[in-house]
Amino acid sequence: MPKVKLNGKEIEVKPGTMLIDAFKQAGEDIAHYCYHPGLPTAGVCRLCMVEIEGNPRMQIACNTVVTEGMSARNNSDKVKEAVRWGLNFHLINHPLDCPICDQAGECGLQDQYMKFGKYTPEMSEQKVKKRKVVSLGERVVLDSERCILCSRCVRFTSEITKTNELGIFNRGDHAEIGTFEDKPLNNNYSMNTVDICPVGALTSKDFRFRQRVWYLKDASSICTGCSTGCKIRVYYNEEGLFRIKPEHNPEVNGYWMCDKGRDIYKHVNPEARLQEARWGQVGNWQVKDIAEALREAGEAIRASVRDSHHSKVALVLTGQQTLEELTAAVKFFLSDLNSRDIYHWINNPEEMEKFDGLLFRGDRNPNTKGLLSLLASEKVSATWAQLEGKLNSHEIETLMVVGPEDPGVFPDLAAKLKLFAKAKRLVWLSSARVAAVDQVTTATWQIPLKSFFEKDGTLVNAQGRKQTLRKIATLIPAAVSVDQAVAVMSGREKAVPMGKFELNWKKTNFFVGERGSL
Amino acid sequence: MSIVNKPGAISTWYLPGILSGLWLTLKYMIRNLFDKKKMPTLNYPEEVYQYGPRFKGNHILTVKKDGSIRCTACMLCATNCPAQCISIVAAESADQRVEKYPIKYEIDILRCVFCGYCEEACPVDAVRMGPEWQTAGLNGSSFSYDIQHLAYRPQLKGGILSRVDDEERHKFGI
Repeated sequence: MPKVKLNGKEIEVKPGTMLIDAFKQAGEDIAHYCYHPGLPTAGVCRLCMVEIEGNPRMQIACNTVVTEGMSARNNSDKVKEAVRWGLNFHLINHPLDCPICDQAGECGLQDQYMKFGKYTPEMSEQKVKKRKVVSLGERVVLDSERCILCSRCVRFTSEITKTNELGIFNRGDHAEIGTFEDKPLNNNYSMNTVDICPVGALTSKDFRFRQRVWYLKDASSICTGCSTGCKIRVYYNEEGLFRIKPEHNPEVNGYWMCDKGRDIYKHVNPEARLQEARWGQVGNWQVKDIAEALREAGEAIRASVRDSHHSKVALVLTGQQTLEELTAAVKFFLSDLNSRDIYHWINNPEEMEKFDGLLFRGDRNPNTKGLLSLLASEKVSATWAQLEGKLNSHEIETLMVVGPEDPGVFPDLAAKLKLFAKAKRLVWLSSARVAAVDQVTTATWQIPLKSFFEKDGTLVNAQGRKQTLRKIATLIPAAVSVDQAVAVMSGREKAVPMGKFELNWKKTNFFVGERGSL
Repeated sequence: MSIVNKPGAISTWYLPGILSGLWLTLKYMIRNLFDKKKMPTLNYPEEVYQYGPRFKGNHILTVKKDGSIRCTACMLCATNCPAQCISIVAAESADQRVEKYPIKYEIDILRCVFCGYCEEACPVDAVRMGPEWQTAGLNGSSFSYDIQHLAYRPQLKGGILSRVDDEERHKFGI
């Protein structure tokens, strides 16, 4: 373990560590743009200058391996002056677009200029004009004037996705990033280039101009878009959820996440949600108090069991809920109703095992592994064909379906609802508002569920890793989790604790310190 | 304000004190009766006091030379506003040189404390505090000023031109 002295602080680092990582480990501020821990070193921004004892000239820290007994410092006047001038050169052709730039507030250039900048620019030439508002595919917008050519995005497409769409074209101060002949950048990981862009050169079409970043609160969560279960950061405020970014988790997703996962906030926002409990059938829906609807649904399920010798109830589960919720539902059927008619609704059987080699999996449920292991441990072995047979012969009186949180990943939703409608009564629990459910011809209770944003729980990802989901805020006051619903349906509880709408004051400046986009 | 404690009977005794106070009122009344021009009071709705041109009254949104709104929807005014009375919704403009503009800019004038921080925060001279200050109205809803009122109300005679010229900025590449 080499020992190094950084700014007079002596620390021990792993062999082969880069000097910039050692500085970060020591907790010393070091300016940088092009360096990213998840990408190979480029050494193009020349900002992480350090003075190494014994070397006459300054060196960049991101491309220098630590050696035993090395002594380096970046707080001398010489280094500070170099960083100041380096920043000034980066700003030569950078337009002062901050008022209309989406990156403002989490911009590397802003943050570092405040810390290390030269506050009196000495540039009097005219700026080089480059292309603005260039659409790079479906999700990314390029503004090459703002680009400081750190090449992070280029390295991302060449090293991580290996799709090589982006490149640096032209020379000198006319150099700019782009795609060859403006071919689109449409791979499933394109939005990561927006995240790693230290300035506002690459912005997201989805998020563009919708909020200023300092109006957004953020909280850590787990992506429910597929069974990989990436660690994410959710950005939200009083007007709803606005975007999702990956958070570093070396065991699961590293620094990245896919573009499909970034859309999961859309089915959490109130306009896509089932807002209240409803009872009725096509053309005749009544809004009900949530506890009343749950009591009635529970009565109906229990009555079906009581009145008949053999079981006339069935439970359909998806891998979209947390382990705790699924366990509660399964326990309700096994011990309260003494029924083993529990079925697993597989939304896309032919894509279930697909994996793109990076992060995205064909199984678009966050907890399929959890559900399968739960069913295996309870020795439930009913198959979907059995359920179809029972429904087609009108054997089932009351069918309880714990439906999808994201109806978008259930292509067979309408067909399956037609099948479910063959039961006499349907108890439909789902967080999403599904138009097809409103067309159901059988007596139905629609119970609003909580989304991943609003509940605690455990998700088991494709690796079999248990990950904890934390409640962030309540968006739909009437929504319940499955375990709360089951408690009322089984008659153990009389009412559900009503959630309080927690996002109800004007948005303010939540910005505290740096957002850490670098 | 300094309190003057005069020694002697005139301030310590009750009657001399109250009489001297009444005399002050009486003095002004007599003066006003004989010299109306020196009277500071105005008969408000008929006579209106003229404030200086720099008075910070109702907001104005300035316009560009082509008459479109100058505001770029950067939301610095809304962020800086201590009363949280400004709400802006931004949108992408079809004109690439404009890029971002407000489709909604509302000032809840009843919440506004006329501190002028919005004007100070604005990087492009898009919002100003104008000299108008008579904002009485009958209907509560009219106190939430929208773009139409803030930029194009009849008193502004087609809009106030912003001092920050886009053409010039683009020419110098800022």
